[in-house]
Amino acid sequence: MDLGVATSGRLTREFSAVVIAGFGNEYCCAYSPSSALDLISDNRLVPLTSNNGSEPCPKALIPVANKPMIDYVLSWIEQAGVKGSSLDVLLICPSIHRPMISHHVHSGLSTLHIDVQTYDESPESNTGTCTLLRHFASRISEDFILLPCDFIPPPSLSLSTILNKNRTESLSDGSVATVCWFAALQPDKNSLVEDWGSIPPSVPIVWDDATETLLQVDTADDLDQNSEELELRMSLLSQYPRTKLSNRYQDSHVYVCRRSILDLLHEKKHFDSFREEFIPWLCKIQYQRTKREKYGHILNPITNVITQDVALKHSTLRAQKKVYSKSVLYQSNDADALSPFDPESTTDSSSLRVGLVLHPATAGFATRVNNIHSLLDINRRLLAETTYSLPTDSQSRSLIDPKAQISSDTMIGAFTQISERTTIKKSVIGKHCVIGKMARITGCVLLDHCVIEDGAKVDGCILGKNTKVGAKAELSRCVSQAGYEVGSGESFKNEKLDVSDWTAGRDDSEEDEDEEDEDEEEEESDDDDEGAVEDSEDED
Amino acid sequence: MNMWPWTTSSQRTCFLFLLLSLMAPKSNAGKENLLADEAEVLQAVILADSFNKRFRPLTTRKPRCLLPICNAPLLDWTFESLALAGVQEIFVICRSHPEQIKAKIAESRWSKTGSGIKIVPILTAKETFSPGDAMRDIYTRGLVTGDFVLVMGDLVSNIRIDEVVKVHKERRKTNKDAIMTMVVKESGANHRTRSKADYAVFGLDSETFECLHYEPVMGYPPSTVASIPREILSAHPDIEIRNDFIDCAIDICSVEVPSLFQDNFDYLDIRRDFVHGVLTSDLLMKNIYCYVAKEGYAARVQDTKSYESISKDILSRWTFPLVPDNNHPAGHLYEHRRGNKYIDKDGTVILARTSTVGNKCLIGSSTKVSDNAQIISSVVGQNCFIGEGAIIDNSYIFDGTTVGPGCVIERSIIGFDVNIKENTRIDKGSLVGDDVIIGPNAHLEAFGRLSKKRGIDAVDDEDEEDEDDYADSEEEEVEAAQGTTTVNLGSESNAILWPQSAPDEDENDENVENAKNQRFMRLGDNASDLAFSDAGSESSDEESESSDDDSDFDKRLELPTSSSTSLDVPDGSSTDAIAESEFRNEVRLSLERAFTEGHSVDNAAVELKTLRMASNVPLSRVREAVVSAIVERIQIIDGGGVPQRQEIAHVVSRWGPLINKIGGVDPVETIAALQTHCASSKRLLLFGQILAALYQDDVVEESDIRKWHRSLASQSLGLSPGVRTDNMRKCWEIGSRMIQQFDEQDDSEDESQEDGGDAGNSKDGNEQDEDEDEDEDEDENSSSEDIENSSGED
Repeated sequence: MDLGVATSGRLTREFSAVVIAGFGNEYCCAYSPSSALDLISDNRLVPLTSNNGSEPCPKALIPVANKPMIDYVLSWIEQAGVKGSSLDVLLICPSIHRPMISHHVHSGLSTLHIDVQTYDESPESNTGTCTLLRHFASRISEDFILLPCDFIPPPSLSLSTILNKNRTESLSDGSVATVCWFAALQPDKNSLVEDWGSIPPSVPIVWDDATETLLQVDTADDLDQNSEELELRMSLLSQYPRTKLSNRYQDSHVYVCRRSILDLLHEKKHFDSFREEFIPWLCKIQYQRTKREKYGHILNPITNVITQDVALKHSTLRAQKKVYSKSVLYQSNDADALSPFDPESTTDSSSLRVGLVLHPATAGFATRVNNIHSLLDINRRLLAETTYSLPTDSQSRSLIDPKAQISSDTMIGAFTQISERTTIKKSVIGKHCVIGKMARITGCVLLDHCVIEDGAKVDGCILGKNTKVGAKAELSRCVSQAGYEVGSGESFKNEKLDVSDWTAGRDDSEEDEDEEDEDEEEEESDDDDEGAVEDSEDED
Repeated sequence: MNMWPWTTSSQRTCFLFLLLSLMAPKSNAGKENLLADEAEVLQAVILADSFNKRFRPLTTRKPRCLLPICNAPLLDWTFESLALAGVQEIFVICRSHPEQIKAKIAESRWSKTGSGIKIVPILTAKETFSPGDAMRDIYTRGLVTGDFVLVMGDLVSNIRIDEVVKVHKERRKTNKDAIMTMVVKESGANHRTRSKADYAVFGLDSETFECLHYEPVMGYPPSTVASIPREILSAHPDIEIRNDFIDCAIDICSVEVPSLFQDNFDYLDIRRDFVHGVLTSDLLMKNIYCYVAKEGYAARVQDTKSYESISKDILSRWTFPLVPDNNHPAGHLYEHRRGNKYIDKDGTVILARTSTVGNKCLIGSSTKVSDNAQIISSVVGQNCFIGEGAIIDNSYIFDGTTVGPGCVIERSIIGFDVNIKENTRIDKGSLVGDDVIIGPNAHLEAFGRLSKKRGIDAVDDEDEEDEDDYADSEEEEVEAAQGTTTVNLGSESNAILWPQSAPDEDENDENVENAKNQRFMRLGDNASDLAFSDAGSESSDEESESSDDDSDFDKRLELPTSSSTSLDVPDGSSTDAIAESEFRNEVRLSLERAFTEGHSVDNAAVELKTLRMASNVPLSRVREAVVSAIVERIQIIDGGGVPQRQEIAHVVSRWGPLINKIGGVDPVETIAALQTHCASSKRLLLFGQILAALYQDDVVEESDIRKWHRSLASQSLGLSPGVRTDNMRKCWEIGSRMIQQFDEQDDSEDESQEDGGDAGNSKDGNEQDEDEDEDEDEDENSSSEDIENSSGED
């Protein structure tokens, strides 16, 4: 009988997905679902996400291999068969992005029921994920999956793996959340362009391999308090005597949480960032007794759900660990006989564990597109898996000149025009781009509507929407803001090109200057170029 | 203590021997070299001295390595373990009672020709006080010529050490800096054989098992965190943090190890000093590796607690093939019966028909167990007599001991030739030294330690002429202490009771041998009052120090560690109180100075922080002191009104910011402190105005006032009625009015208010806890005093 009830319970147990899609706006330019703490460090896709004129460029819609990055997450959710009771996906984005994002997700082929909600940002409010979750708590009625918009999962890692782990563990030993960390990109020092911003420092984590439990996440506060040493609680070590410590991994920001996490968030009002504050704190509940006592009942409210305790007691696979942790608890209680709660109640209560799915580097490449390096990197990796063939659609095909040389590891969006004797290698070209004659494009990512004029050379660049590269201009390892215009003959290297002022008549002055200096400038060394750019910007 | 032991003839010989051996290290080394070259002889060095006194008084007249465990001397177990590993040459470094060790080695079966093992006893100077000194001695004598196995003389192991040596040598071929391999045994964190008093957290490279971090941990003082240096992550991204190793103190060392000890003369302990030193040194650039033994058994008899657990491990056959019925190190032959009972095979054991021998017992030859005697999980030596109806429960009785009828012995170790007369009761954890007579009808309380009075038996003393005068002097001390305490040890007793390990005046808690830590090593003592350290660390909370709005600050007071500290220092609370009143006074003076001399807020804050660190008081005390000082600073102006308000605004705007600069921001607590202070001050009526001024200066926010207002403590519920409570209540009502005003200003944020409510409530709970805990502390103090008193009476 028990079994019957439990199975039906599991069947009705559903998740709803909460996707948090970038909060980039004028004043803070933060793109990841993150907090005030993140804002500074996470300001890393600039200038691609800076506004295009008055129109915002939401991070969620920046394409990765010609597909907006949010699509990767949404299809991942779809593949896992996530069905909520009222809605499948709650997508939270800044109100200024709403029209674009809403248009995108509803025009797609997705069968998910997506509810786009906005959150008004004002400079006074720091909108971290925790704040958002508190705000939208009423809309989340069941266990939820919190996802970022910028996680690109590899085919080998499916969301259902993570969900299944959570299902098993929350039922069997009462874990409260499941997180997913993946082996981070090992940066190749030589290929890094320093001006693009630094790779985020890796975060050391401590986990227990046998039970796959996340035990400690090093936070900025910890680093502040003790920059020399990493401090591990002895209580952690006695409860989990065989732990692993590594800084290879990065948080995917995919969290499968119990509904009660939201109640806990209400309790802990000062938390802002889910990743940097809440999760490290949540890990501590597992082994710090007073925290358990205090928050255990919130996390694990007494419900009528029939637990599997009886069955689990007879399980040969799980039993040992349980017995072991019991003995620890028993000892600690024994030691403190005045403690008001009796050992039995604790051992019965759940472990409050934070489950961990580790995705090793060998099992496929995962990344979060939260900086320019990773954006370029993931594009290149996805390119390596595709082979280019001319578009079948005759209209698109007619736009590509047969004399253009396009290498097979290239991706070209629809309605892009490529003129004769242009060479394109290892690049992703967006939709509706216009590429002139004799241009050379190598290892680049061009977003939609870019214009490359005749004879331009673009190498290792990421060009934002509507970027215009003038004739014979040379760009090497640059990133440009949407709408940026590179004058003909100009050359830049290792730079972030942003449009400093939209109202000033930049183009005119720039072009005037260029025409005068064109010949000189080509001779100038790279170092001088940087000076030149700054000069021109100053004039604006 | 006599440091210059050439007072007796025997000692002089000993010294001469030492000199000789020091003078001729070269020839020795040369010989060893030849041997080593011939066929890579595997050498082992046994440090046969424990360098501590955990087994006193059993070890006053006998080195620890000769104490029997399961009826065979520890040293024999160690030889057996090394023989199993294929060691061919063993140097035994002996310090105390070297003659006995020498004699033992001479009669050991390993020194017979054809055993394949060469055992060389090495006498080291009496001034060798630590393993480090012994290592230096090894160096100066040039004993070892190649990689060697270093073990302690109390090892019981069946690990194939030769495998480890192979791995070590293999590694040395590629990495000359890998100077040492430590053998550690995987177990659980709470394995019975794992010492609670002295263990370590290892940080290993996941792939190579290079030891990257070694953190020794003691039972007392408990440590809450293990600190892993961050820099090791850069070179080794995958690290395993292991807290489940039994360190069996088997080290495969290369020749450099003794010389490193020589170079660093301050290295005392092999683990705490040498390993730690090598790992943290930037200059040495040497690596130490671990060999994690997944199979096999290895443990050290480090203290009486591990003596018990290892005895049980041997009886439960974990040490197979080293078990009593097979390869018994002393060469006894035991019959293995069902239930892991071992009875000597020679047929001289007499078990009365009505006696019971429970499971996991070992009984040596010629021992007689009388009617109705019960032996439960115990080891009884040879030639013992157990009287009628005696109960021996989880105890270890050495050879030749007589236990009279009706005696009860519980979890104790009884030495050789002890005579326990009838109806004597020995409680758990007791150690009874050799030749003691106790009883009849005596009662030895738990953890009692007995040794024989000196001089009673003159003949006996002459036999042990070469005995340590070190031990003698200690016994003298014990005897001197006897004068005051008189305990009934029975009319025929020749015993003296050792005082409970009296904490030395200058005792250093840092030392592993500190009295409280010793308790974790004691047989039968679960040291539960010392609080299993991790319970403490669980509740201590970093967030309490950081300035969260989080109400976790109370947790500090729940620390069992704090209670345990006060437990052992009976007058701790009073000194604390003195310290606190001193602190309050200091703060008052410091603030007065700041007020009159017009310091900047920052300077005043720095001064306060320093004060707080010096006297180690919680932040909340500082806050209370600052708040009350500021309130007292406000002049009461008769007639109130605008001038009064100006005065308040002036003081608060000048000094209010200080409240949040003392090291943490907790506005709710600030208001509570203000309330408490005002309630017992003449400035009660100013409460509202001061609060308003604090609000104006952003020292407290609206939400804080609300939170405070909702908290139970602010409503002074649960306090005994009195003037002060009334005043508290008044303050609270002023707060209510203020909140009404806020509500009128904006009544939109319903939701946040509700949430705040929950948080506020939970906070109250904590504050109550805090109070309770303080009470508990006091209770514990008094009970600890009781304990102290009672032990004093002993």
